[in-house]
Amino acid sequence: MKLILLLGTIGALWSQVSYERLLKSAAEPHNWLTYSGSYRSWRYSTLDQINRDNVSALRVAWVKQMPTSHRIEATPIVVDGIMYVSEPPSNVFALDAATGRPYWHYKRSLPAYNVCCDAVNRGVAVSGDRVFVGTVDAHLVALSAKTGAVLWDVPVADPKTGYSVTGAPLIVKDMVITGIAGGEYGIRGFLDAYDARTGERRWRFNTIPGPGEKGHETWPTKGPHADAWKQGGGSTWVTGSFDPELNLIIWGVGNPSPDWNADVRPGDNLYSDSAIALDADTGKLRWHYQFVPHDSHDWDAVQVPVLVDSDWHGRSRKLIYWAHRSGFYYVLDRTSGEFLLGKPFAKQTWATEIDSKGRPINLPNTEPTVEGNVVWPGVQGATNWYSPSYSPLTGLFYLTVWENKGFYLKGEPKYTPGNRYVGSVPDIDMADDPGYGAIRALNPKTGEMVWEHRTFTKPWSGVMATGSNLLFGANGGWLNRSAREDSEAYFFALDAQNGKELWRINLGGTMASNPMTYMISGKQMVTMAAGSALFTFALP
Amino acid sequence: MLAAANFAAGQPGSSPSNDAERAAGEKIFRSHCASCHGLNGVGGSGPSLTTGIFYHGSTDTDLYRNISEGIPGTAMPDQFFSSAQLWQIVAYVRSISSHPLQPRATGDAAHGAQLFRANGCLQCHLVRGEGGVRGPDLSLIGSQRSPAYLRESIVDPGKVVAPEYWVAKIVTKDGSRRTGFILNQDSYSLQLLDFDAGLRMLQRSDMKDFGIDRGSIMPSYKGKMSEGDLDDLVAFLASLERPREIPK
Repeated sequence: MKLILLLGTIGALWSQVSYERLLKSAAEPHNWLTYSGSYRSWRYSTLDQINRDNVSALRVAWVKQMPTSHRIEATPIVVDGIMYVSEPPSNVFALDAATGRPYWHYKRSLPAYNVCCDAVNRGVAVSGDRVFVGTVDAHLVALSAKTGAVLWDVPVADPKTGYSVTGAPLIVKDMVITGIAGGEYGIRGFLDAYDARTGERRWRFNTIPGPGEKGHETWPTKGPHADAWKQGGGSTWVTGSFDPELNLIIWGVGNPSPDWNADVRPGDNLYSDSAIALDADTGKLRWHYQFVPHDSHDWDAVQVPVLVDSDWHGRSRKLIYWAHRSGFYYVLDRTSGEFLLGKPFAKQTWATEIDSKGRPINLPNTEPTVEGNVVWPGVQGATNWYSPSYSPLTGLFYLTVWENKGFYLKGEPKYTPGNRYVGSVPDIDMADDPGYGAIRALNPKTGEMVWEHRTFTKPWSGVMATGSNLLFGANGGWLNRSAREDSEAYFFALDAQNGKELWRINLGGTMASNPMTYMISGKQMVTMAAGSALFTFALP
Repeated sequence: MLAAANFAAGQPGSSPSNDAERAAGEKIFRSHCASCHGLNGVGGSGPSLTTGIFYHGSTDTDLYRNISEGIPGTAMPDQFFSSAQLWQIVAYVRSISSHPLQPRATGDAAHGAQLFRANGCLQCHLVRGEGGVRGPDLSLIGSQRSPAYLRESIVDPGKVVAPEYWVAKIVTKDGSRRTGFILNQDSYSLQLLDFDAGLRMLQRSDMKDFGIDRGSIMPSYKGKMSEGDLDDLVAFLASLERPREIPK
């Protein structure tokens, strides 16, 4: 009996990431177990060793230079002293979280692949003693957490027709949930669930409904464009959230295809640019909310849904806070998808307002044209895929904002499998008015801005709040396209209550990632990627 | 070009079909390429495509590859058009690269070189190792801009001023004044090519006044030079070409 107990104890020392642990991730803040830190996706840590008084002493603890020539967009996962992080395009490192020294390195040999915007990866997921990664050649791979050995490797879709996986998977129960990328290639998007043990697919939700499926009527059903839905886009390339009580997976859906010429797809084009809520066991749609019907500006809903239970006009409700790429901040009820609030958080010139039912009232002459049309926000949006954060201490919602315009052209898209299907290339970062960036704090109940920290360039990084009222962020953007090599690269800590900058460091490489934090041997560590290196900071 | 267009169509060529290929290519160009290369390919943040000279290979296959795969180390992205569309773009680019509205310079380049020196242009412009830093490097300008553009730049230099030649005028808190080109900048600092002091790092927090003049510091030579001399000067500048590539 004693022997069995002892074996059990030894077994427990090897970190098995159970579903129970994922559900209660808040109970182990020394780890970072999912892409956004918890199923609620607050990107918030209760760790408070690094605080407003001592953050100025923060210094580099270790750096992991990766062999890749692609930028790192991943958020690492940390489990009991081991860091699992993807190296773009589709490799994985297991590192010692205290020193950055590698245990193993999974290197994927890749066939030809199609990705619109650099061959990147936003991270891995961990369940049991397995690490899961999606690949740019549109596979999902299970690795041994101990050795990096491949346990299974299944195709998700055909990379030759423009499908790829760039987002981090999400573990829900015994399933691996993965999205798909390829909205610039005329894919038909979906969200998939795979058996974590076998790699067998449990369910697929098609984000572009086909004939007979609800929502198909929002696409042309007859005439010359009756097949538009087959190339309708609706990618799912940023990791969503999970509500275990409602058993709902809540995920954002990308743009309809072709991006900048909507003539071939009259209608609302569901479920593009929508929040979708799926039953976790069946993948069936419970509700949806479409931010931008009939989008022609590439304003994906690829933001991380922030799930908060809070008072709403005198009644406790299960809410979602969502700052969308189109420049509007939303509050939705996550039980029903009911629209509760829609308010601009940045300059926008495409809608007068969001009406009481949650539908935007579009302004005239804001569509792309052959001559070009200037609209705020630009094609990269007023925010994008980089993560927001919510702090229960301040009650504020934090996000990275771009104040910028775009010049939207309209061309003639022609679908050919594996080739871009976009309709034009809009112009942004114009020299006469390149815009600027900011980290902003919003009152999530009203959408009102509480403070902002302006940045000269427009950041590609998310934010993370901590239990000591710090907010980590970065401004690693570039001024205009011709100056990309000269992007600024400051990683900084702000006072989460007022936005005052308390510490910064120049990391010297484009930052297009999200900060995260963990604790090892009594020390709080903060990790951020810059260029093709991973930087980890701690107090002396 | 004809061969390329015919190859794309997969059938024997005729003038109408080539015109159609070119027209189709122009449509794609306007919506996908013009934001950098300018409408009609006369150049913008990307180089002019109307000079008939291509830095990265000038065969149809080179153009096809550069449009399809992009050009590493430059802002030229990969585009992933279908093969037929790529050949249409190639057909269009070919048609503008030998456009009848873009005549070759006709003046006396040798005399133009003398005028260039006599008018003090080297005080600001660099030409093949000699000259100043207050204006664009003209060492290869004949490959980068059309003769018409060069002429316009001499008589109306303020018409198009690239952002890197906008002049920063800064007064620091200690009262000193600095004037120069901004080489780079970020949220906290500015890296200046100071016209008097050379490379200077300035902190935004040290600045009292900061302005940018988007005009040109080059004087206009309109009316200061005969038409013949102007032709010669343009011919000299147009002769400053990149050496033709060795055929592969």
